[in-house]
Amino acid sequence: MDKEELLAELKVIVTPYTQDLTALEQLTEHTDFIKDLQINSANLVDVVLDLEEKFDIEIDNDSMTKMLDIKSAIAIIEEKLAANGR
Amino acid sequence: MVGNDLVDLKLAAIESNWKRTGYLEKIFSTEEQRLIREANDPSILVWLFWTMKESAYKVLNRMTGIRSYAPLSLECREVQIDEFSASGQVWHPYGTFFSSSVLSKELIHSIAALTAQELFGISVTYHKNVLNYLEDYNQSSVSYSLAKNSMGLPEIINRENGITYPASISHHGRYLAIAHSGSLRSAG
Repeated sequence: MDKEELLAELKVIVTPYTQDLTALEQLTEHTDFIKDLQINSANLVDVVLDLEEKFDIEIDNDSMTKMLDIKSAIAIIEEKLAANGR
Repeated sequence: MVGNDLVDLKLAAIESNWKRTGYLEKIFSTEEQRLIREANDPSILVWLFWTMKESAYKVLNRMTGIRSYAPLSLECREVQIDEFSASGQVWHPYGTFFSSSVLSKELIHSIAALTAQELFGISVTYHKNVLNYLEDYNQSSVSYSLAKNSMGLPEIINRENGITYPASISHHGRYLAIAHSGSLRSAG
């Protein structure tokens, strides 16, 4: 899966928790979950759980610590998929 | 340094399903989970512990400048709860934070500081959560103004003498709370 596809999948996952729809339309690697999309921090857990389900990966606590923007999320997903040999 | 966090319980009931598989394990320690599961009203403890952690994180973030999403690095300890309030500590490798909370059917609000003395010195005002809360505050407050500094962090300023206090703003659903250190009454 390339970056473009990952970005598209991420967009689908964050949509239900996003409060700033303009930022969602302009989603890039640099989009911040909290500052830009205005996702409630209690809903960031849902984003993490949704990503785990979608990609069949486990996002450990160390990885979750960095889960603040699209760029980090993509890096974490790629790392976990690679570890799973996919 | 001051941190605060609030949860509008009506909105939280709609937008967060903490009963979802894996949810509690991602943010609460084994002991916190045990207390939540054994509580008469588990959702109160979920949001009490959550706001305690978030308020402590806000202090930590402001002191260190480091952003992270690590709710498990903070643990609520020695929490005493009665009908309308709670107090306790939030442990973190960096240091232990002192916290106190207000509980109602509508909202849970927690404040935190690194010392008990600083915690007792925190002033809190509650407002409607509106987009233009800065202007709202500045139009209604005679003695103090609210502004964001060059880092985008909120500050309360005494209009008379210009003394500035770091502030913490939290908003969710219907409510907005502003917390700051330094007694405003004695500041003039």
